[in-house]
Amino acid sequence: MISFRSNTRLYRALAAKAYARNIQYRGSHLLHNFASAAFGYLYACIWMGLGRDHSLGDYGTIGMMHYITFTQTSLWVASFTTMGLGIPQSVRTGQIALDLMRPVHLFAHLMAKEWGQIAYQFLYKSIPIYIVMQLALGLTPIDGGRTLPLALTALAGAAYMTICMNYMMGISALWTTESSWLYWGNQALMNLLAGFFIPLEWLPGWLQTVAWASPYPFMLYAPTQFYLGKGDPVLLLGTLAWCAALTLLCMLSTKALRHKVEVQGG
Amino acid sequence: MNERKAAGVTDRRLALRNYIKLYLILIRTSIRSRMQYRFNFALGTLLAAIIQLSEFLMVAIVLAKFGAVRGWTMHEVGYLFAVMTLAKTLYRTFANEVHNLERYLVEGELDQLLTKPLPVLLSLMPRGFRLMPGELLQGGAILAWAFGEMLQTGQVTWWAVPQTLFAIVTGGVVLFAIGMATATCGFWTTRISMLQNMTEDAAQTAARYPLTLYPGWMSGLLLTAIPVGLVGYLPALYILRGELGLWVFPVLAAASCLAVLLALRFWKFGISKYQSTGS
Repeated sequence: MISFRSNTRLYRALAAKAYARNIQYRGSHLLHNFASAAFGYLYACIWMGLGRDHSLGDYGTIGMMHYITFTQTSLWVASFTTMGLGIPQSVRTGQIALDLMRPVHLFAHLMAKEWGQIAYQFLYKSIPIYIVMQLALGLTPIDGGRTLPLALTALAGAAYMTICMNYMMGISALWTTESSWLYWGNQALMNLLAGFFIPLEWLPGWLQTVAWASPYPFMLYAPTQFYLGKGDPVLLLGTLAWCAALTLLCMLSTKALRHKVEVQGG
Repeated sequence: MNERKAAGVTDRRLALRNYIKLYLILIRTSIRSRMQYRFNFALGTLLAAIIQLSEFLMVAIVLAKFGAVRGWTMHEVGYLFAVMTLAKTLYRTFANEVHNLERYLVEGELDQLLTKPLPVLLSLMPRGFRLMPGELLQGGAILAWAFGEMLQTGQVTWWAVPQTLFAIVTGGVVLFAIGMATATCGFWTTRISMLQNMTEDAAQTAARYPLTLYPGWMSGLLLTAIPVGLVGYLPALYILRGELGLWVFPVLAAASCLAVLLALRFWKFGISKYQSTGS
């Protein structure tokens, strides 16, 4: 039986290594942030343009600028993680067989590495993008930043959910040999159902029902509502419930993976 | 003297014909290799259609909620979206590897292409030839939906169909030129994905909406330095809204030719400065 608890030092080391590997490229990544901030600015411009002719409900134009700033910033924690946690490449090279032989659970092993990646992205991508967008749009943190702790707690839950979802997408590579399309499909659903560009209450009723039946609203919409000071803390229970459900699914899919994997060649 | 000139022209024609023949053979090979993985192809097609649909739904939901964007109706914005999708499909079908040049630069694969007795572009482009039925169907369906409504209300006539096809072709050429110019920067910088995010992804997303939404400096930029505004917005002003004049079409043709010629010259200059990353 592979234990999760006995390996905490290893998990910390894996996360630290993933963080350290990324930090080698921080100069290039900081430049990359301008492209991401440009995207955010573009979306904010669309809402500013719409705000000239229409009232933007409870949010108002400034509220929508804050909304887009926070969702664009959060993408690097809740969405832009390693495609399939690197499992598709392991499947292609056969490395997956060795990974399954390790005395650590595959999910915990890959999750630890991804937490290092996410920590790096939060510090070197999310925060700089947030600052650039705040400056470009002339905004200041809502309520002097007092809404941030709850928003960041919800965002940490979102990061865990995205790790679980990527794990399952990665595992699908054993059946499909190619899971990049699932990753992009997931990104598209994230844009639509997580409230990345449009607040969920503005979606048509049927699409709102579909969205709330999925984990997506808890990945961007809920953290953003907390940031805007509009979120009900009960939403965090939804985050917790989805984290538990996705963990269970990851465990079950690892079992299926162990039965499916076969080693070829000699 | 004249005979030598005539012989030169004939040689060039023969070479061009051989290039085209070779290009078609390479495309056929590329399609065959993709069809070895039929399930992947089917899954990729289905998911590409879903991605396109979700992207359009985002635009459609905004329009359904607010009615119009700076005076542009849902069908007009749908038209902008569809023309951009189809022009991008045209560009990425034939020149996907120009977009993926970074991989060749980082992994040193470009060195192999340089040793071939063919122009680099010609050996590069057919490699990534890909059929994109998902994008084609989705773009075509949105265009048909937009046209259906506008034909019914009399906003446009059937003449709009060939005019739009023309705009899609010139738009594809413009996107190719932008993609090639961006990729050329990789001969100096090796990494180009950040630049592509701005000149291709962000710019194309912006041009799915009427440019009047944006501040003046941004719409000016999208019509000149990164001319994605020429893909859907400029032709739509004439085709859908009767603004400007018929001169739009020769301007589009001239602008797309100029853009691709400038990008080609830049590419030739860039490749002369290329230094391998080594092994």
